[in-house]
Amino acid sequence: MSKSGSLYIERQSIFHGLDGSIKLLMLIAWTFLAFAFMDVRVFLAMILFGLFLLKLSKLPSKAVWPLLVFIFIFTLLNSGLLLLITPEFGSELTGTYSKAVGIGFYTITYETIFYCITLSLKYISIMPITILFLFTTHPSNFASSLNRIGVPYRVAYSVSIALRYIPDVKAEVENIINAQEARGVAFRKGDAGIGTRLRNYATVMVPLLLSSFNRIEVVSNAMDLRGFGKNKSRTWYHRRKYSKLDITFAVAAGFVLVLAVAIKVSIGAVYWYPFH
Amino acid sequence: MNAIVFEDVTFKYNNLDEPTLSNINLRIEEGEKVLITGKSGSGKSTLAHCINGLIPFTYKGEIQGRITVNGKEPGSLSLFAMGTQVGSILQDQDCQFVGLSSGEDVAFALENDCVPPEDMSAVVDRALAQVDMLGKKEQPPQNLSGGQKQKVAIAGILAMNVPILLFDEPLANLDPASGKKAMETMIDIHENTGKTIIVIEHRIEDVLEHGFDRVIVMGEGRIVFDGTPDRLLAEDLLPRCGLRQPLYVEMLKFCGADIHEEDKISVLENTIKYKDQVVTRYLEDHFTDKRPDNRTILKLESVCYRYFKDDPFTIEDISFDVKVGEMLAIVGNNGAGKSTLLKTISGIAKYQQGSMFFEDACIDKWTTKQRALAIGFVMQNPNHMITKSMVFDEVAFGLRNFGTKEEEIDRKVMKALKICGLYEYRNWPVSSLSYGQKKRVTIAAILSMGPKVIILDEPTAGQDYTSYKEFMIYLDEIKKTGVGIILITHDMHLALEYADSSVVLSGGRVIARDYIDKILADPLIISKANLKHTSIERMGRLYDVEDISSFIAYFTRRITGGAL
Repeated sequence: MSKSGSLYIERQSIFHGLDGSIKLLMLIAWTFLAFAFMDVRVFLAMILFGLFLLKLSKLPSKAVWPLLVFIFIFTLLNSGLLLLITPEFGSELTGTYSKAVGIGFYTITYETIFYCITLSLKYISIMPITILFLFTTHPSNFASSLNRIGVPYRVAYSVSIALRYIPDVKAEVENIINAQEARGVAFRKGDAGIGTRLRNYATVMVPLLLSSFNRIEVVSNAMDLRGFGKNKSRTWYHRRKYSKLDITFAVAAGFVLVLAVAIKVSIGAVYWYPFH
Repeated sequence: MNAIVFEDVTFKYNNLDEPTLSNINLRIEEGEKVLITGKSGSGKSTLAHCINGLIPFTYKGEIQGRITVNGKEPGSLSLFAMGTQVGSILQDQDCQFVGLSSGEDVAFALENDCVPPEDMSAVVDRALAQVDMLGKKEQPPQNLSGGQKQKVAIAGILAMNVPILLFDEPLANLDPASGKKAMETMIDIHENTGKTIIVIEHRIEDVLEHGFDRVIVMGEGRIVFDGTPDRLLAEDLLPRCGLRQPLYVEMLKFCGADIHEEDKISVLENTIKYKDQVVTRYLEDHFTDKRPDNRTILKLESVCYRYFKDDPFTIEDISFDVKVGEMLAIVGNNGAGKSTLLKTISGIAKYQQGSMFFEDACIDKWTTKQRALAIGFVMQNPNHMITKSMVFDEVAFGLRNFGTKEEEIDRKVMKALKICGLYEYRNWPVSSLSYGQKKRVTIAAILSMGPKVIILDEPTAGQDYTSYKEFMIYLDEIKKTGVGIILITHDMHLALEYADSSVVLSGGRVIARDYIDKILADPLIISKANLKHTSIERMGRLYDVEDISSFIAYFTRRITGGAL
């Protein structure tokens, strides 16, 4: 994370040039598509295509990897839990029963393992495009993008406000913790047990909340005095007219979205299982 | 034409019993440059809220009498409509910066006015250029100093093109040099645009040196003075209202100068007629300024610290010492490394090179907790430190954390409360105390732990002269008990009047270690450390005094009534 607390990485690429709202639309369409299917082949294709797009974005892999690894671990844990709790669920879906691992009453079927793989790939397939959106959209464009796809500007602007003040609040928390630490309050491992430390973190909340309330009052006064909420709509400094590229991507994303919805509505997410 | 008219205005906040403003009658002409001053609680901020529309729209209360701003009554409009008449710059530069970059922040009002983006750019650029910040257009607030954020806020108001600019304590969070630049920006705007400028501030000297037409002094919700700075300075009203006169005026009065409005002493050069009187006084009286020759409690030797391995050092080669019963000021501009230095002393940041000694013992290996018992640290904002609801509990908090016995806690807490003048308040809830009292609670809380050194970060920030003075008297008491005190500050007056000696930081290095008067007499150090020339120094030069340093030392000590 940069000093300003955003994930944005400056590069020259086709996606950096796209308007944030288009990328958001792409993300939505992509997500719908992923949820319209339950098919490993589709997910693999989406992952490959997604990685290709990621390549086009010229984002440094060093920045992207941690997030990918995080999601990977998350899906592994998710699969693990699934196997633990419903070890035979896959068989209910396919109607076949092939035992893979068995310890007494507890049996994991191959069908369930395949189901877990499908599900994991489904989650992973959404990752590349999410990363694309998060890392190539300048924080200044987040709020305006949300507003552009129909979120009311008062709601959308709260995203901008959050991005603006999170680093400040973070610095304040550090400040308060430092001050309390200097008075013998234990926050570090080894100074006290986990229970005490958690309780100590709770004491930090008092000054933090008080100063946050004060901050909210000043910020809202500052915004009021400069006319925030004056009109039904507002313009955005960083917003520009859609380019041809924007429109092309918007049409493509729109097409995918319609397709995904159509598939989902007509045939539903049919579970693809090749080993009958 | 009248920009602002108050006719017999009385205002009472809904949650208070007494009116905060009583019978205010005031007329401000278009294009005037007015300073509104008064100590905390005098009603000056409430007056500002009545002008910019936060009263009656955000802060509710009963209003009597009539207010008109540019011929319109705020009450009959909306807060937004008021925003097109009065542009407000608030005290907290950080909170009022709502954009994610300078450009965006300046554009904020334009966006709310639905100005098309393609038209915005030119207006934003022009406004930023007016405050000399165009080069920082893309910078996020985290990369800007307080003074730069202030300038962006001013640009934001300029972009709105409002006729009246209202500054609510613009100097409160700025170092002296940045404050001076902010004032100069304001004056430029006034000269170039002829807008009405209203500044609310209790740092009178820093405002008046920029040539104001008129000063309004508030006291207990009433206007107690309304006239030219020349008349105000000739009178004795300011000290009576708990406000500070410019240093050079205090000095003239100390020398018994007979001052009248016609002498126009608001311009420092006009005081040349008192030269003989002042210089005679200075030459007749003698004193020697000596640093206490006690033993050293805390010593730093070539301390270096950097946040990341690949970064250059944030502070480098820092060496100085503090003696028993000494008050040392560490001065320097914002970003000079003061807070980093503080973190290394308190042990929060582990310095990579150099050593620290406490009473001759090397403390490099000491943990934050161990250091806390020896070296107390008081933060700038008391609200960041206070976690308990009752005064006694807050002061006892540190001792309890270290497992001290209750009887002993009781004794130590009472002692600390007495030194800080809070004994009567021991059973009060902290929330009912004033800001200055809270500040003292935080000191008592540190003092009760029995440290030999206390470090205070910007101890006088946010306090007016009366509570500041009171505060420093208590600090002096603490000093007399043999505790070494380190003040980290950019307030030159504070350092000059109370510190025994000082260390000047600039760019992470110690560039001077001397008596503060010697430092303030050295133009090179002043410019390097972004400090500000004091009016006493300017006067010394005006009077061709040879030894400027002892001239400064003599008068500051004389004026404060401090020990000679």
